[in-house]
Amino acid sequence: MTAVASVPRASSREERPSQPVRRRPGARRTARREAVFGYAMIGLAMLFVTVFTFLPILASLGLSFFDWDVISPPTWAGLGNYQRFFSDEPVLQSFGVTIAMAIAIVILQLSLGLFLAVLVNQRTSTFGRTFFRTAFYLPLLASTAAVSIFMGYLFDYQFGAINYYLGLVGIPAIPWLTSPLGAQVTIVLIVVWQQVGFTFVLFVAALMSVPEDVLEASSIDGAGPLRTLFRIKIPLISPTILFAAVISLINAMQLFDQPFIMTKGGPGTATTTATIAMYQTGFQNLQFGYSSAIAIVLLLLILAITGLQFLASRKLVFYQ
Amino acid sequence: MARAFGPDVSRRDLLRLGGLGLAGLALAGVGTGLAGCAPTTPGSGGSGSTTGTLNMLYFGDQKAATTLQNSLQPQVKKIDKDLSIKVTAINGTDWNDFLAKVLTLIAAGQAPDLVSVATEGLQLMASKKLITPLDSYVTKDMSTLKSTYFNDIHPALVEAMMFEGHLYNMPDSFNAGSMFFNTGVLQKAGATTPSPTWTMDDFHTTAQQIKSAGGQILPFDWVVRLWGSWTSFLYANDGNLLQEGKYPGGDWLWSKAYDAGDPSIAGRKGGWKWGTPTANSDASVEALQYVIDMQKAGLSPSPDVGGGGTLQGLFSSGRIGMSIGGGFWAGGLHNAGMAPGTFNVQFFPRWKSNKSLFGTGGYSIFESSQKKDAAWEVIKMMIQPESFDIMFPGNVTTPGRKSLMTAQRYAPTGPENWKVFYDQLDGSVPISAPPYYNALATSLNQRTTQAVSAGRAKPSLDAMQADLEKISKGS
Repeated sequence: MTAVASVPRASSREERPSQPVRRRPGARRTARREAVFGYAMIGLAMLFVTVFTFLPILASLGLSFFDWDVISPPTWAGLGNYQRFFSDEPVLQSFGVTIAMAIAIVILQLSLGLFLAVLVNQRTSTFGRTFFRTAFYLPLLASTAAVSIFMGYLFDYQFGAINYYLGLVGIPAIPWLTSPLGAQVTIVLIVVWQQVGFTFVLFVAALMSVPEDVLEASSIDGAGPLRTLFRIKIPLISPTILFAAVISLINAMQLFDQPFIMTKGGPGTATTTATIAMYQTGFQNLQFGYSSAIAIVLLLLILAITGLQFLASRKLVFYQ
Repeated sequence: MARAFGPDVSRRDLLRLGGLGLAGLALAGVGTGLAGCAPTTPGSGGSGSTTGTLNMLYFGDQKAATTLQNSLQPQVKKIDKDLSIKVTAINGTDWNDFLAKVLTLIAAGQAPDLVSVATEGLQLMASKKLITPLDSYVTKDMSTLKSTYFNDIHPALVEAMMFEGHLYNMPDSFNAGSMFFNTGVLQKAGATTPSPTWTMDDFHTTAQQIKSAGGQILPFDWVVRLWGSWTSFLYANDGNLLQEGKYPGGDWLWSKAYDAGDPSIAGRKGGWKWGTPTANSDASVEALQYVIDMQKAGLSPSPDVGGGGTLQGLFSSGRIGMSIGGGFWAGGLHNAGMAPGTFNVQFFPRWKSNKSLFGTGGYSIFESSQKKDAAWEVIKMMIQPESFDIMFPGNVTTPGRKSLMTAQRYAPTGPENWKVFYDQLDGSVPISAPPYYNALATSLNQRTTQAVSAGRAKPSLDAMQADLEKISKGS
């Protein structure tokens, strides 16, 4: 750190001397030491990203051009796995299920997170804000597998607590997890319940950072609470909304735990998401080449959707 | 800021080097990954080495695995003082789950020497030459094995572990699908205790009596899976998901391991050959529609998929009157708090036939093992009667040896009618687990839940038939 502090700052145009300055002895060595330090820091991060992200992606990409059942030696398949993907109705359907559920999850997660954040931010003491922030964030800390098992019991058609209490008030039992639509809706609601704390915390922090003078000015100009929210606050926190939307969508497109544990992708294939289809194809049907091709297509789809989000953000997101 | 990184180390150069390194690493990673996972050529593994560590994958918890390892260790040392055994437990909800995890380990290049294999994975592993035929080992030790093992093991279990005429596994346990019932629930409903010759009509009458008794009790429950699901009704209805057949061969075993004229080996051949899919046969549609109609009539709840833990919990808490179970239910219900006498078991009710299903488990040697001879010696230890309770304490499965089926064994847990477990094997057929078992199980789960959700069996079974035809052609 001392070495860093001793280096003359020359990053701003104003500070840069007009005449060339002769380097003092040792400056070159210091600069080199800094460079090595910088590359070492970046190198460590790069190493982790390379080993745990890039290499598996590259390996999957390579594998997607082979037929491989884990047991026999892999055989070259060329683009066969990708051709198969586009004619494989069940797998295409799983992508449809994933997109539909992801859209529902992101919309609900963002709108509910924003709604709760605005409520908490508006008329709550610091203690209340901290309390709600903790309360809404807690489900996110719970193990998804444990939550899914627990929810499976709660929403059981015959023996679940939810239907039991509904029955007490005369409402007939609802097939939460045993009808196609019921299972999709229930899983979306459970995911939103567990994940909403993430967007909520982001939005609370963003709303707190909206400059007071801007809010005061809008108040003086006669803007009511709703107009202030939609015309001032939301535009000002739009970068945070974009960030939350991107992260939520990426997570939702990889939905696996909840449907796998609660419904095993059923009834039928109603909650078989792309990642479940990938798992079944690879680990159950032993088609690891084809499973890798599905993974690559999903990766490209997520990249494309994220790209679209950033394109749309050019018009919708306001950077101060 | 760029300047702070100094001119001596070019960022472009470093990135270029990094990129080359990355590509190299990636290629090496893919290469070694694939190479590491590819199996060795059959026979190339060698079999003579008796030093080092024998690695075994065991279906169960690590505590039992460690107990097994500790009890086997002194015996293994007798084979060679430099040889040891390491037993690694793999947890799973069922054999399907266990098999998926074993395959993951193989994919990671960690193939063991020994592995527990059940009916579900036998043909898959044998057809892919992952496990080695035990024919030569069995033949070598036949004189001892005949009197100490085969004479005590039902030949149906041995035949279920054969594939294309070869024996790939030494079974030590099994579970046949019988019908469990809560004695208190049946008494309260005024239903008679099921007799050994009871029929589907009797079963249905009992279910209706339980329902008529009222309360929160459901007469029957089942689980979506291949073993002991609606498939038990399918077998009783004289059907199957796949055409039943047998591989030729196997005489090398039957003529030497059992006495000539033993009626239990009549018709035994070289293992079960699963043929053309028959998932949408009349028998299938009738069987699946029967359990769906039971649900519609309020005689059973919507079934869970796989595992069966929830079902055992519901049964033990008195919420379910009857369900399909095997010997493993004795220990399961006891552990869940049911006292002996509060539950009992009977043969699966007769429908168009008295055919029932079973699955069996035992030990196989990996083809890639360098220590096959030592592994065979360990298998011989594990199939000894005294090893059974070390591996399966508390009646968590049914002993494959008839000599271990005693009143004393079932006294602490029940059920009173424990003899049914073994006797159910007569006339039973193993679960239809072909080399493409995993894909079959996926389709079975999907199509069954689809049928239950829609309330109609036929369209979903037509779809399952199409699935299985496609899968079987591709396998």
